Amino acid sequence: MTISVAPGPDTQEGIRTGTAESTDSLTAPDIPWNLVIWNDPVNLMSYVSYVFQSYFGYSESKANKLMMEVHKKGRSIVASGSKEQVERHAVAMHGFGLWATVEKASGGGGNSGKSGGPGQGKGKRG
Amino acid sequence: MAKAFKSGLKGITGYLEPAERDLLRSLIDDVISMLQPEERSGQDPLAALIGLDMEATEPTDRAVRRLLPNVVKDDGAASLEFRQLTERSLRETKIGALRAAALDLDKDEIVLTPEGARHWSMALNDVRLVLAERLDIRDEADAEHVHRMQDWSQAEDVESYLALVYNFTTWLQESLVQAMLQSLESRR
Repeated sequence: MTISVAPGPDTQEGIRTGTAESTDSLTAPDIPWNLVIWNDPVNLMSYVSYVFQSYFGYSESKANKLMMEVHKKGRSIVASGSKEQVERHAVAMHGFGLWATVEKASGGGGNSGKSGGPGQGKGKRG
Repeated sequence: MAKAFKSGLKGITGYLEPAERDLLRSLIDDVISMLQPEERSGQDPLAALIGLDMEATEPTDRAVRRLLPNVVKDDGAASLEFRQLTERSLRETKIGALRAAALDLDKDEIVLTPEGARHWSMALNDVRLVLAERLDIRDEADAEHVHRMQDWSQAEDVESYLALVYNFTTWLQESLVQAMLQSLESRR
């Protein structure tokens, strides 16, 4: 259900110029990983929105919408893409001090603690 | 008293009293020392150079763990493998931002470029994350409780002093981020 707000991978330019990004690509099998941002009581709402705008190139309204989702629902999928792409985003988010994790897009997130199953830690050396 | 950051023609400007600068400097130094990677004997220098640390483990200190969190929820093994590949450079990124902010504190007038402002916001955020762990801020109610401490004459123990320091850094970061958002908007 939160999938609809997730952007395509590496389409910062596209998102900047046109806010009506396609959601068709999100169900494609080659985009199997999500970047999740978790709520915490320390990070400022303005800062989280700034990070979403400046790092991902999201519009102010999109950044605020995602930030509010983090704040109210406890978590939000803010980007999707290949494993390598979302892992790179996660490191950047940790650099900013945001609490980010990566998870496989299948399985609907939320309730499944073990999102990837066995073997998901392999093949990271790219 | 410190003045709120402002976005203007020169960039983002701010003003801090000498005592406030000293305070920030010592907070920044604390966080840097927590993030400094351990020097291990027999470490592969090439691996260290490209940011690998195959001996990295999940930090035991809560505050350090918050600065360098696990990347996969509820999967310690996958998180550890990722940590070994990326944690060293993440530490260096954070230390770089903290050092940049500390350098700016030595100048009379604080004038920040967009990149400098980003370093400051990252540094202040990490300082606040560490203070929040020390203050045991776990949820919004804890944060609200700490936020109520605004009067320096109330500072009678370590906890109330820490709460006041936390609120000062929160105010400073909020004013900085507002200025950054403003300059982001004007550049669009």
